Amino acid sequence: MGNKQTIFTDEQLDAYQDCTFFTRKEILRLHGRYHELAPHLVPMDYTKDPDCKLPLALIVNMPELKENPFRNRIVESFSEDGMGNLSFNEFVDMFSVLSEMAPRELKAIYAFKIYDFNVDNYLCKEDLEKTLNKLTKEELTPEEVELVCQKAIEEADLDGDNKLSFADFENMITRAPDFLSTFHIRI
Amino acid sequence: MEELDTVNLVRVMSDDSIHSSLSSDSCEYYQTEIFDQLPSVQACRLEQNRQSLLEASEANQDGPEPRENISHGHLSRGPKDKASTRPLRNLVMCIQGKRNARDRRKMQISNIGFWDSWRRSQSIYMKRVMAQMGGALKGLLPWQQTLRTINGRFGVGVKAYFVFLRYLVFLNLLHCALISGFILGPTAFYGSSAHLKFGANDSVLDFFLGTGYLDRSPVFFGFYTRGSLNLPCLNTPLLYLAGIFTILFLSLIMVVRRTVVGYKHTWILGKQYSVNVSYKIFCGWDFSIQDRASATLKRSFIRNDLKLFLEEQSFSLREAQRTLPQKVRLYLLRFIFNLIVLSLLGGAFYLIYFATKTSQNMSASEHHWMVSLVLQYLPPITITFVNLFLPHMFRKISSFEDYSFTTQVNATLLRSIFLKLASLGIYLFFVFDQTKNQPCRENIFGREMYKLSNFNFLATLCNAFLFSYPRKLLQEKYPSSLLAHLSGKQHFLIPFNVLDLVYSQTVSWVGVYYCPLLPLIGTVTLMATFYIKKFTVLRCCVAEQRMLRGSSSSVLFHFMLLLGLIMAAVTLGVNFWIPNTNTFSCGPFGNGGSLFNVTGECVARLPSSAQTTLRYLSSEAFALPLILTEVIILTSYVSRGRANQKAIERLKDMLVLSSSDKRFLVKQHATMLRRQKNTGRVRGAAIKEDNPRNNSTVPPSTRTN
Repeated sequence: MGNKQTIFTDEQLDAYQDCTFFTRKEILRLHGRYHELAPHLVPMDYTKDPDCKLPLALIVNMPELKENPFRNRIVESFSEDGMGNLSFNEFVDMFSVLSEMAPRELKAIYAFKIYDFNVDNYLCKEDLEKTLNKLTKEELTPEEVELVCQKAIEEADLDGDNKLSFADFENMITRAPDFLSTFHIRI
Repeated sequence: MEELDTVNLVRVMSDDSIHSSLSSDSCEYYQTEIFDQLPSVQACRLEQNRQSLLEASEANQDGPEPRENISHGHLSRGPKDKASTRPLRNLVMCIQGKRNARDRRKMQISNIGFWDSWRRSQSIYMKRVMAQMGGALKGLLPWQQTLRTINGRFGVGVKAYFVFLRYLVFLNLLHCALISGFILGPTAFYGSSAHLKFGANDSVLDFFLGTGYLDRSPVFFGFYTRGSLNLPCLNTPLLYLAGIFTILFLSLIMVVRRTVVGYKHTWILGKQYSVNVSYKIFCGWDFSIQDRASATLKRSFIRNDLKLFLEEQSFSLREAQRTLPQKVRLYLLRFIFNLIVLSLLGGAFYLIYFATKTSQNMSASEHHWMVSLVLQYLPPITITFVNLFLPHMFRKISSFEDYSFTTQVNATLLRSIFLKLASLGIYLFFVFDQTKNQPCRENIFGREMYKLSNFNFLATLCNAFLFSYPRKLLQEKYPSSLLAHLSGKQHFLIPFNVLDLVYSQTVSWVGVYYCPLLPLIGTVTLMATFYIKKFTVLRCCVAEQRMLRGSSSSVLFHFMLLLGLIMAAVTLGVNFWIPNTNTFSCGPFGNGGSLFNVTGECVARLPSSAQTTLRYLSSEAFALPLILTEVIILTSYVSRGRANQKAIERLKDMLVLSSSDKRFLVKQHATMLRRQKNTGRVRGAAIKEDNPRNNSTVPPSTRTN
């Protein structure tokens, strides 16, 4: 049934179906999107698992990510080298975690990675200030930013060290009613 | 000489040993290293890697042995089974890692028995089917696309209004189903439908006034007769009553459930109504935004939310700084304003009384048909106008009373809901009072509710097309005229629109006993209202900058609905239990029948044990133990909640103290390390430096009293 596709072997598609939240059709569609980002770089035949990575600048210009203030951090947290170069596996992984069907715990782990700008496993005040400035595009004055970040840390910090560890973050985010609905990209 | 120079150079280069040796910044470098070795961090990392380790070790051995061989700390037995059947997608590793785990699982499958593998594949299949069904059901909900558009353009609050509207449509559909089952069905089969023909005096006006043709139709109470279904416990009046009570009871359960669920979502460890800034920062941005206009809008929403929060902070600061004479003056002002509000309410009630008296006392034939139509509709017109203007006046009044923005909105809302429900209640009381001795007063009640319901819908329609749309055209075509300046930009005022919905649903509940087809009318009008409001919002309104928070306001909506339902139940109860309305002259109870007659007949036919039980349940001897039990259960829940709260506070304190213990110890460790390094080079200076700083050698937790 359907077209006989030659991009992936059946075994590969099964593996993708089990390891991500996508169906076969969606995986093929994702490959199409990946390919059109750089048609001369991305091979059409993935049966031999080619080693092809697209740079950050190409991925960040996708319409789904273009308007997102955290687009750079999102791509960086899913890339293995931390620089934002995504192979197709990482590309699929990124959209799988951000899809509707990913559970809250998984999304919370990656959300923490995204908001952790200096990658030190803690959300310190500077991370929060950077997040806030990206959110509001620097429309708040520095004093207001300081006040808001201070209040945010006060609210979420459980162990009193003036920064948010993953436990603090997860504790706060599990009670947020709209986390699942906002932290989701449809592709 | 050379050595001195070297020493000086060394001194300049190694900054840490001279200043800021004990500041937290320079300790950061050491802290991260030692933090990595702490058992708690190790355990955290272990949790995340546990599945892959488990799978690796299970693949290396076969059978039940792997369970004993895992020696990575204190893992419990239970989760192991879940871990190997946990979906691969939920694991936190890159795709290659998941692929390896999958291959390992595949190899493992050949080691387990036939039944295990069959069970496992069945559970995976069932999970997939359930997920697909869930997705399909979600897609069946109507108007999803509209809701998404509205959410994108106007924010969560306006979307919450439309979600509430959709919920009310479903509720009314459920009522229709119940009515057709309990009331219309038996009447269709067993009742007589002889007088459903157009009579001589009928006209189209009957559809508006509820008289004539409509009076004799199934729309009103008077149509239903005892019919031929006459078993003692299964007759038309009993079914009628059962239908109405089921409707009210089901509505009660659904509304209470949604109120409680919504309340649980907004209750966060005692911080009930405060703004949660951390949510705004981390969950504020909607990742699915794709076009620039929505992004700019969303950004302005977030900025306004934060500005609102900052404003509330500065307001509470200002409030704390109020001097005594200022406070006295403010309270006096608030008292005067409350008196004004009460007098406005009193005036409104008098107006309604006057309108009801006029409408009841007029005789139909001495006026032109249009005048009589207006006079018949006078009470609904008055009520609607009162409900239209007074809430806006309340809004203006509350802005003078110097409350924070949220309190202003809540105060206006409270006053408006009191106005709406009380005006309905007063109206019912006046109608009740004035139709004391008229035959078939149920039909009269039903007629009034029918007229109220109709006029509500008419008012919504006129508001949209005769007021909102021209105002928008005025803003567009002549933006600099005086009128445009006066009217200002149109915003979709969520609280007032929700109040309208709650009011119309309350009217539907109050009237369902007297006018059984009211839910059907309600469904149709609500669906039409959805499209009218959609038109108003998308074409005529501009997004409001200061918004009510979406999730907490849904609790408020459902709570107001609950108030309306209680009022409807109270009205019905009063109607049944007042002595001189016990006998009916029309309707399914027949001439001279009553509620107690009918139920008494049924109870008398039950077996004697059931009768004694029922008698006991309705006597006072049962009520007292029941109340006592409820009080005891409530007390136990409340005290358990308080004990949990205390435990949470204590645990939080412990957490803070142990964390500062940890930091103190790490600092000490870092200092000692550095001291060891520096004793070789700058011994004298370092010791002199360190001594005055080292005045606190006691950990924080033992310092506290």
